[in-house]
Amino acid sequence: MSRKKPAQIGRYKLLEELGRGAMGVVYRARDPSLDRIVALKTIMLSDEADGRKDYQKRFALEARAAGKLTHPNIVTTFDFGEEGELAYIAMELLEGVDLRERLKQGPLPTAEAVDIAVQVADGLGFAHERGIVHRDIKPGNIMLLERGDVKIMDFGIARMRSEDSKTSTGMVLGTPRFMSPEQIAGMPVDHRSDIFSLGVVLYEMLTGAMLFAGEDTPQIAHNVSSVEHAPPSRHNPDATSMLDFVVARALKKDPAVRYQDAYELAADLRTCLAELRNRTASPEQKAHDTTRTVKLDANERTPAAAAIAPETRLPLSRPFDSSAALQRLAKPSRRDRRFLGRAPRPVSVPRRLWNDAAPRLLFITMLVAAAAGSYIAFA
Amino acid sequence: MASVVFLRIHDFGRRPVSEQARLRAQLEAVVAVTTAELESASRIVLDASDGMAIVVLRDPRGALRLAGRALSAAAAGLPVSAGINHGAVRVIGNGKPEAMVGDGIAVAAAVAQFAPPSELRVSHTFRDALSDAAPGAESALVPAGTATDSGLRRHELFTRDKRAAARRRVRYSALSAAAAIALLAAGIGLRISEEGHEAFMSGVMGKYRQVAAQGERQVRGLAQKVKLP
Repeated sequence: MSRKKPAQIGRYKLLEELGRGAMGVVYRARDPSLDRIVALKTIMLSDEADGRKDYQKRFALEARAAGKLTHPNIVTTFDFGEEGELAYIAMELLEGVDLRERLKQGPLPTAEAVDIAVQVADGLGFAHERGIVHRDIKPGNIMLLERGDVKIMDFGIARMRSEDSKTSTGMVLGTPRFMSPEQIAGMPVDHRSDIFSLGVVLYEMLTGAMLFAGEDTPQIAHNVSSVEHAPPSRHNPDATSMLDFVVARALKKDPAVRYQDAYELAADLRTCLAELRNRTASPEQKAHDTTRTVKLDANERTPAAAAIAPETRLPLSRPFDSSAALQRLAKPSRRDRRFLGRAPRPVSVPRRLWNDAAPRLLFITMLVAAAAGSYIAFA
Repeated sequence: MASVVFLRIHDFGRRPVSEQARLRAQLEAVVAVTTAELESASRIVLDASDGMAIVVLRDPRGALRLAGRALSAAAAGLPVSAGINHGAVRVIGNGKPEAMVGDGIAVAAAVAQFAPPSELRVSHTFRDALSDAAPGAESALVPAGTATDSGLRRHELFTRDKRAAARRRVRYSALSAAAAIALLAAGIGLRISEEGHEAFMSGVMGKYRQVAAQGERQVRGLAQKVKLP
């Protein structure tokens, strides 16, 4: 891609380059007809004539669909078009920072993270109602504005990208860490895939841990499709149990048991938010709270995937103190070592007679009756 | 090896999150009440995605009691079922205990899946462990068929039947009575075959008269002592 900035694309006068990606460049541009500053996103068109025609058709469809999305939590699309080798889309220019940049500073305060997720879920719910699936929900596509407003970026374009991202070998490219299991498997996806991706984003906001992280794409794909996450409260003591449930439901591998509706997710997140705000609003309660906050070791902040083991792994329940039994297991007595280390053994006849009342009754009765019978017979 | 009681909330994943949170809190309350009767050094409580698991050390009877109490406490609106297994478990963690793994847990979870709401299923190994710890207690567990889990492992299941132990006691009592009658009859038969019927009967009658006279004397003596008219 040429690094030279053109002076104008379509009717838009380019002012400065805002960012550069694999598929194109984003410019700050001015629309002279309305005297409006916009973000102009350019996409390189395919060189092949057939591929290009198909691409142009899809681009127009998707851009029109995205243009219909007017919602406070979705970036507004103003216009789209083509010039030379470039397709472009003019969007509302946002002043703020994207979530990816914000997350570089570490996990977000719990209430703020939930608030962001609520707004994203609202935006997704609105788009899903209109049959539009984002397909690439990730921190880089979530813009944080001043006063806590949140906007989802790249509707439509994301879909174009995701369709392009499937190569002739069937390999899926893009941002696998935020993809749903069905998406990473190359299966057809629907709005529930966005819900999963938002679940991953929420997890990352709450914990700072990179869920499903892996060394390479196949490992990430494996983690996404088969590894179960640890509840956010394990990493973030402020996360409520309800929040654990919300995240767990959003991250269900099977779309059928996931949230079926982004609005439903938003509603549950609002309940969590109310709970969190109530908690921060009553400092007296905090003073009386005897809950111990366990500081996690630095290495526990590593990707959550690393801390996940097979399905049989069950974490210790925090509300219950199991330390006495754990200590007993760590330093077993001789008797414990003998009993805990062996499988159940069959019960011998003497032990059965000694311990089991019913056979003992039979045995004693037979013994007495045999003695009496012998006396009658031989005395 | 330890006994693992797995308490599973039915259709947990399909319920609204607010209900999940409510049911979870209810289950925690039930577990808090039911584990209180176990020594704290004998139980480890674990979180599961759709319920809770309690690892009970060296007390299969306690594990069975706990499951029973949890199910009866949960009968008031908590759709929970219980599965118990006795198997290998291990504590894992990065420097400090964080979780437990093992076949003991996996099988308990599988067994709980086969239990209808408010019911208990136990594995064959648990029945053996119960029999080992308290011979005879296993009689309360009756066969409930076999089931194959998602990993194609076949489990022989048992369920609790409160009347099974009573039925067994009645069976053993009847058997004891029959055995006593048979042994006494055998003694009598042997004596008759040796002495003949007449001699045996006159011997018995003589003994009877002797015992009756002795009894009468004792009753009279007793009546004089208490000065009855």
